[in-house]
Amino acid sequence: MDICFNQAGARFENRTALHPLSLTLNEHRIGIIGLNGSGKTTFARMINGLTKPTSGTVTVNGLDTVKDEAAVLRQVGFIFQNPQNQIILPVIRDDIAFGLKNRGLSKAALDAAVEAVLQRLGIEHLANRRAHEISGGELQLVALAALTITGPQILIMDEPTNQLDLKNRALVEKTMAKLEQDLIVITHDLALLETFDRVLVFNQGSLHADTSPANAISLYRELALS
Amino acid sequence: MKTRDLVLIALFSAIIIALGLLPPIPVAIIPVPITAQSLGVMLAGVVLGAKRGTLAVLLTILIAAIGLPVLSGGRGGLSIFNTPTTGYLIGWIFAAFVTGYLSEKLVNRQQSGLVQGVGFFIASVTGGVVVLYAFGVPYLGYAAGTGLEKAFLGSLAFIPGDVLKAVLAALAGRAVLAGYPLLPHRA
Amino acid sequence: MRSLHVEGTGWLYRLSPRVKLISLALFSIALFMTRDPFLLAVGLLVGGGVLWQAHLGLKETLSRLRPVMLTITVIALFSFVFASPLEATISLFRLTALTLLATAITASVSISQFMDEITLAIRPLEKLGLAKAADIGLAVGLVIRFVPEVVHRYELLQDAHRARGIRAKLHTILVPLIIMTLKDADAIADAIDARGFRGQTSSPDILRGD
Repeated sequence: MDICFNQAGARFENRTALHPLSLTLNEHRIGIIGLNGSGKTTFARMINGLTKPTSGTVTVNGLDTVKDEAAVLRQVGFIFQNPQNQIILPVIRDDIAFGLKNRGLSKAALDAAVEAVLQRLGIEHLANRRAHEISGGELQLVALAALTITGPQILIMDEPTNQLDLKNRALVEKTMAKLEQDLIVITHDLALLETFDRVLVFNQGSLHADTSPANAISLYRELALS
Repeated sequence: MKTRDLVLIALFSAIIIALGLLPPIPVAIIPVPITAQSLGVMLAGVVLGAKRGTLAVLLTILIAAIGLPVLSGGRGGLSIFNTPTTGYLIGWIFAAFVTGYLSEKLVNRQQSGLVQGVGFFIASVTGGVVVLYAFGVPYLGYAAGTGLEKAFLGSLAFIPGDVLKAVLAALAGRAVLAGYPLLPHRA
Repeated sequence: MRSLHVEGTGWLYRLSPRVKLISLALFSIALFMTRDPFLLAVGLLVGGGVLWQAHLGLKETLSRLRPVMLTITVIALFSFVFASPLEATISLFRLTALTLLATAITASVSISQFMDEITLAIRPLEKLGLAKAADIGLAVGLVIRFVPEVVHRYELLQDAHRARGIRAKLHTILVPLIIMTLKDADAIADAIDARGFRGQTSSPDILRGD
């Protein structure tokens, strides 16, 4: 993957959420950490175009997040913190299939695609359940299924284990390790990042550090406890 | 339509439906137990305004019509259009619109809580009682063959409950405007 | 929420949804155009006959008819007292006949069949840019998805009240229920936009978190 920030920043009303910065992301596993209000979420949202830059540009594999909005969304999936609000149809199977609905696939092809992603994530047993009956880690896996079925190469995960108990957290971590996509993960759960390639530390709207996981974590601890 | 509006409309429709699942509540001096679902219609207007409030009500009626038992008492399906009270059901659409329209016109964030409450009450009574009954009563009179006057007399017992709902809607409208304002302002 | 549609066999279920809906509409018009109790009674038999073909079983049929028939009967009595026996009969027969047929149609048309018909019906509106069938389908799905969550939230609020020794009343639960539910709208809209369903993303000038 090739994500470029070209002096890209974001201002809302009279507040700067992210000061203009330039960098390139192409590692397989990238972590993003920072205190609340540090700009890390704004940064992540600018990658798939959910937040548009108010200065500069952001490109994903050559596609501009403003001009090629739809194409960027096809390449970058985004998993949000609260899985409850990501499953939008009552029956799990239907929610997962929805991403492929408007692609003119035959029913057989659609069903096959759904089955494949269910198996890949080990959640076949959830297919016919109702969304409000399942919770926690399983819901996050459903969200993952719904997002990966359309084949994005890059997945951004915003605090994926934030609301999970230990068991569900382990489930999600295990699943994340098996994902083939390039992952960009915002998290407070520092243990998740130990095997990552690169970690960005944000502070007060700017990039404070861009280094290995171990370094990043100790720098972040300094920031947090100072 | 912005995605956020679509979602607000759908969530409010879910609220109207959830209110329909509550059992009718007897209230001291009021002759008939009050059902909460029509309160939801007024609330759609005071919270979301005319356009989104009306769409929330339309969506609820659509969902009932296609076969989900979401109207108070577990009613649903196409038979909702064949009852003597169908006029009230259609009236919901216009009640939400008028309540929303008047809310947008009469209420703004700069007013005191009392003024806002009065504004919302006027909107809720005009929409949720006057306009609603303007649709419900004539159709009832026609369907029962009793004519307008008798149908109106027969509906009188429900008015106190509906006025109470308007008070509730006004109080709620004020509180929601303070806590999570969504009402557009109409100059 | 269980839908009122059932899987069934027989000609009623095999008939196309469009034919059934148009027939219901025509039947309604016909019944409202006549005041002849005999013709209306024939309508009753037709409605009853079709409902019988829905094969719902006595218990299920009665449970579906009960709420509507209650209103119809009360109004028929009202009509009997304040208008005339003839008016009461017309009202009773007409509305009951319509209810019987409507109940049969509702049982034999599935939600997705309804949505397909609606999609077709609003095509002219789509051309005018006034509505989108995909949006309506999404909206219906969202409502069905989140009703249980709203109910659950209501129950949590009741519990919170009880825990504080306050009797849970509608007027104290209503406002938190509305605010908590609607606050999710932004997150849900984000999730929808991130999946590219509606060909748009949120505007950048809404203040967001970090």
